[in-house]
Amino acid sequence: MISAIWQYVLAGVVVGAIYALVAAGFVLIYQVTGIINFAQGEFAMIGAMTASSLATGGMPPPGAAVIAVAVAAVAGGLCYLCAIRPARAATGVTLIFITLGLDVALRGVGLFAWGTNPLALNAFSSGSAIQIFGGVLPPQAAWVLGTDAIVFVLLYLFFRHTYAGTAVRAAVANPPIASTFGIPLRTFAFWSFVAAAAIGGLGGVVVAPITGATYDMGLTLGLAGFVAAVLGGLDSLPGALVGGFVLGIVEKVAGGLVSTGWEQGVGFLILVLVLLLRPQGLLGRAVRRA
Amino acid sequence: MTAAAETAAAAATLAVRNVSMRFGGVLALDDVTFSARAGDVLGVMGPNGAGKTTLFNVISGVQRPTAGTVTLNDVVLSGKSVDHVASLGVTRTFQTPVMFWGLTVRESVVVALAAREFGRRYPPAPLRALVSSGLGSPLRRGVDRALREEADALLERAGIRHLADRATETLAFGEERLLELARALALAPTMLLLDEPLSGLNPDEVHAVLASIRGARAAGIGVLLVEHAVGELLAVADRVVVLDHGRKIAEGDGEQVARDPVVIDAYIGDELE
Repeated sequence: MISAIWQYVLAGVVVGAIYALVAAGFVLIYQVTGIINFAQGEFAMIGAMTASSLATGGMPPPGAAVIAVAVAAVAGGLCYLCAIRPARAATGVTLIFITLGLDVALRGVGLFAWGTNPLALNAFSSGSAIQIFGGVLPPQAAWVLGTDAIVFVLLYLFFRHTYAGTAVRAAVANPPIASTFGIPLRTFAFWSFVAAAAIGGLGGVVVAPITGATYDMGLTLGLAGFVAAVLGGLDSLPGALVGGFVLGIVEKVAGGLVSTGWEQGVGFLILVLVLLLRPQGLLGRAVRRA
Repeated sequence: MTAAAETAAAAATLAVRNVSMRFGGVLALDDVTFSARAGDVLGVMGPNGAGKTTLFNVISGVQRPTAGTVTLNDVVLSGKSVDHVASLGVTRTFQTPVMFWGLTVRESVVVALAAREFGRRYPPAPLRALVSSGLGSPLRRGVDRALREEADALLERAGIRHLADRATETLAFGEERLLELARALALAPTMLLLDEPLSGLNPDEVHAVLASIRGARAAGIGVLLVEHAVGELLAVADRVVVLDHGRKIAEGDGEQVARDPVVIDAYIGDELE
């Protein structure tokens, strides 16, 4: 029994790592623009589908991965330029509806480009399964967790140790004053979409060997990433990391102990509980945005 | 003015030409024209509703003038966004100081210094800023120390060095004003717009703010000063522009303006007698 639960936890860690990447995209965009971008999961789909189809066509996996992330990043930038920026005078609710529309539109593009058949991507490295205290992880899990570590360390270094990161933090803390400092908020909004889409695309690329890639995988990933972001706190990148892992583990454990049909239901149960009991999330701040 | 500042002043001129600002039926600014030089303090006077704050909003990019242009060294500012105007060297303070909550006093100044550095490295792309700021490299430590020391020097000049490690939430109103001024000076602007920097201050703090303004002038920064305390304004300003009902009714040095019957009639009354 214990060993079964441990195995569920390990599986949850892997899924959670992907949720954390998608959640990081939600947090990045929310922090810089105040928008909840419900199209976030589709960037993971674009990454996974692009990499899988290129690799199927014979391209070496590293090249396919780089191009896939670039395609996702371009999609993110275009989403901002074509749909968000023209409506920047709109209210928050309108912008959220626009992102819902983007979500549907991007899934449609995915369907048009790749069809309904699932695509497969080979694991990045061959080798035997990883054993941890009697539990087993596929070799690809190391790539997933390594990607998480690198992305979150880079985000930390950017926000804490670069002028641009400091400027973004100032802009987030106090937009009107930041603009008198010459900090270009709109440019940052654009780059937040590009970065969030690249991170989501990267998540899609590394998870594709485990889950496969389908045109509609973005919906599930996007919702899970949203729950993870709310769970951790929408304004907290460490919260996205913690929220992703907690959600992944709880889903897999509940799914394993009860039935797999419960996996997603548990996620939304958590969402409701968090919103009722601790709306700012586990690591978020209760302070209102300026 | 120092010799170096004089050279800068010769180059930098903020010109407001035929600027009008209409809000529905109200003409808040009516064909206002004047210029301000870097290294000078230009006082802007006028009763409540004269259009002083609207003038600042137009110059700093908060509002686009209905007619007329604002230029800095022949670069058009009017119509550009606040951050664009600020990146071109014109920044401002507000009537009520706004703090970065969650930061200490020193960090608030470091943020302004970082924004200035970022601005210098900003074109063409944040990616370049990311690389050129030495992401994760040991060089950063030197940069951090340099910023910290520069921040402390600015706080020293503002007379609030002893508050460096205090959280900004805990500052008194006057201390907020002094920090806001230090923050603005950290940006090393060509032109600094100060909106009633003396209101609500005790005499010591007034003295500190006036010293900072004179320091800015000596450093070659042009200061536009809106202030209700007429005595202090006339004492520190090199020249004065007087607005009334959106129109410029007088311009000159402090003494000329104080003696101008139109000004006395329209605004000051017997306040200066």
